[in-house]
Amino acid sequence: MRRALFILAFALLAPVGAAAQSSQFGTRGLGMPGRAIATRTFALGGGYALFDGESALNPAALGSVTAVTADFTSLQDFRTVENPAGDASVRETRFPHFAIAGPVRQTPAVLGISFSNYTSKDFTLASADTVILRGVLVPTTDTLGSRGGLSDLRFAGAYRIRSAWMIGAGFHIITGTNRLRFNRSFADTTYHPATQQTELSFSGVGLDVGVIRNFGQGFSVAATARADGHVSVDRDSIPTRSTIDLPYSFGFGLRWRLQPRIEVASQALYETWSGANSDLIAAGGIGSEDTYEVSFGAEFTPSLRHPTRPPLRLGVRYGTLPFLLEPGEQPSEFGVSGGTGFRFGQNRAGLDLGLEYVWRAAGAFSERAFLLSLGVTVRP
Amino acid sequence: MSRLVRWTAAVGLAAAVITACQEKLTSPAECPELCPGGSPQVFDTLIPAAAGLDSSFPSAAEAATGGYVNRGQGTAVLLSSGFVASEDRAIYRFAPRSDQISVRDTLRTYAVDSALINLNLVGRDTTVHGLKLFLFRIPSTVDSTATFDQIDPLLAPPALIDSILVPDTLRTGAVGAVLHGTALSQVTLTGADSTLAIGLRMTADAGTGVRLGTLASSAAGTFTSYVTVDIPDTGSIKKQTISRATAFNTFVTQNPILPVDSLLTVGSEPSSRALIRFAISGGFLDSATIVRATLELTPVQPIYSLPGDLSFLQLLAVVGDIGAKSPVTTDPNFIRQDTLPVVQADTVRIEATGFVQLWKSSRARPQSVFLRIAPEAATFARAVFFSTRSHAAADPTALVAPRLRITYQRTYPFENP
Repeated sequence: MRRALFILAFALLAPVGAAAQSSQFGTRGLGMPGRAIATRTFALGGGYALFDGESALNPAALGSVTAVTADFTSLQDFRTVENPAGDASVRETRFPHFAIAGPVRQTPAVLGISFSNYTSKDFTLASADTVILRGVLVPTTDTLGSRGGLSDLRFAGAYRIRSAWMIGAGFHIITGTNRLRFNRSFADTTYHPATQQTELSFSGVGLDVGVIRNFGQGFSVAATARADGHVSVDRDSIPTRSTIDLPYSFGFGLRWRLQPRIEVASQALYETWSGANSDLIAAGGIGSEDTYEVSFGAEFTPSLRHPTRPPLRLGVRYGTLPFLLEPGEQPSEFGVSGGTGFRFGQNRAGLDLGLEYVWRAAGAFSERAFLLSLGVTVRP
Repeated sequence: MSRLVRWTAAVGLAAAVITACQEKLTSPAECPELCPGGSPQVFDTLIPAAAGLDSSFPSAAEAATGGYVNRGQGTAVLLSSGFVASEDRAIYRFAPRSDQISVRDTLRTYAVDSALINLNLVGRDTTVHGLKLFLFRIPSTVDSTATFDQIDPLLAPPALIDSILVPDTLRTGAVGAVLHGTALSQVTLTGADSTLAIGLRMTADAGTGVRLGTLASSAAGTFTSYVTVDIPDTGSIKKQTISRATAFNTFVTQNPILPVDSLLTVGSEPSSRALIRFAISGGFLDSATIVRATLELTPVQPIYSLPGDLSFLQLLAVVGDIGAKSPVTTDPNFIRQDTLPVVQADTVRIEATGFVQLWKSSRARPQSVFLRIAPEAATFARAVFFSTRSHAAADPTALVAPRLRITYQRTYPFENP
């Protein structure tokens, strides 16, 4: 009970909002899809996510949690954006993932709650133009800013069937707001700056199931499927009667312990974002396409006799992004990552560090980013 | 991992976290790809004043009884000669001067040795040289009912007291005429008439005008007498000074502007103000972001000001619309003041963005504005504008009524989502 109260207090201290890295490829549609993964998995390129009980991609992975665990992840983003209008260096800090999980006493069941970024729509776009006002050309500067996105609150449980099988299911509440603000200022200061803003609210639910099959200590296979239905949209607290279909997601992963000190993992994810295409086009957007992501990661443990020594983690991933900037030009991203982790207090606390360099591109639009993930794990 | 490496990693991590916390998200936008929702559209529209609801006060019928500031009660009196704006004569009447003075508790007679009439110049056109003021004695019964036709004939050589040649370099300040000897006879106060009243006319190298200080600005003229009191064997108090301040001042104009109910008179004497009402629809105000609003007024005749001497057209938001006595705001955000040019012959434009934004944010505020010229009843600038009840003779179809030119932006088409 004490542990539960401690973890609850820890959870309340965490920031309420969850958001992942932003991108110019997240200015359309619902934004930049988030990755509900812990820092350890982040450093492994995401390849380990379907087996990671601290991540939220596969509810069956909760079965690997042997003690009450709270995991808090922050993400720093240092990004260089390039497009035909110019280039800029941007940076931000977000908190994309928070999870608590713990076994149910005297049962092979594990329950968990996680709060993750689903999509992120944080950006400020600046552009310059000239308009004719009262017969005179007047230079203008426009900025369109957006903050917010969708968050995913997951309630999940897993059940261990001996040591070979783990199965799990989760219920997701998808909610969030998107605050949009447009400002236009004029070079001729007799024209007052015009600021307009609106707030979009989203709500929806989803379900997912997952399974992990362990073939001994060295090899495991994982699979998951998820259906998110749709989100309904309110604008300034007024229902718009519009909905946006969310994707079905399918994932498959492999984990293989090559040697006692080296473990590799890989996974593939497929999401049917094209289901939102017609809704987005009807709302005046450009549309969306299905996405996939393939990732691979390897973890090297320097000493089996001293398991608390920081491991070396490496990863690589490639995937596509759902929301188009130009028709027929689907954005893609490629990332290489690395990281390590530290354990303290008889493995009751941990600090994980991950660094990823990402390239994203679609036609004339591209960006490169350093993503620094910092994860704190507590096992009270 | 060595301790050095750990410390280096920790410091690097801390530096990265600290710098990353300084959020900077602004990046360039390439439209239409990165402009979700599209581009905002800006429109321009003309909204005339509410028909028949624009008025100037006092009305033609009430002008004779006075206005907001009556002639002579402003901060200056006008004096001009050959000036295109108007032909004016200034008048001062000083406080009575007794023929006896109290010395050692005894009223004693005195003899005037000399006198000084001081005036304060508060505005002139310094580009016109050779300014000379002529002081004439006029009957001390002069009052606010005096007209130009009554006063001007009195300002003739037989009544000349003295003249003051104003230095070309003097823009504002005191000027005076010192009277000695025979000149004193023109300011002699005899019998029951113990009051000196003077009328002023002027000359200059070209047609121009000046403004002189008044009681309202605490800068009115003074009449000082230097006297010798007849007290035997007391040399120390024989010399006395008797100073008389202005008791009344005014000016007369050859062709004063008389209010016409079909037009909007602003300024003049007595001073008029125009109350202009608008009826902008709530739907428009709800859906538009006001970028700029300009009040446009078409003058019936050119508005002349004295070069180098500023006059202002003021626009004031009305707090509650109860007609001529409507209270106006004291909030400087809703008082707009524009300097009038020397000659304003075409459309007068005054920025009124804040006013329309006020009406948008507070529907309880009346869509009414007061227009006035400052300083009231103390400037050569006098304006007459077309109203909603009048038409320009040259083109009866032209929109000459007061109107608001509003530049506005429609609601931005935010992409949904």
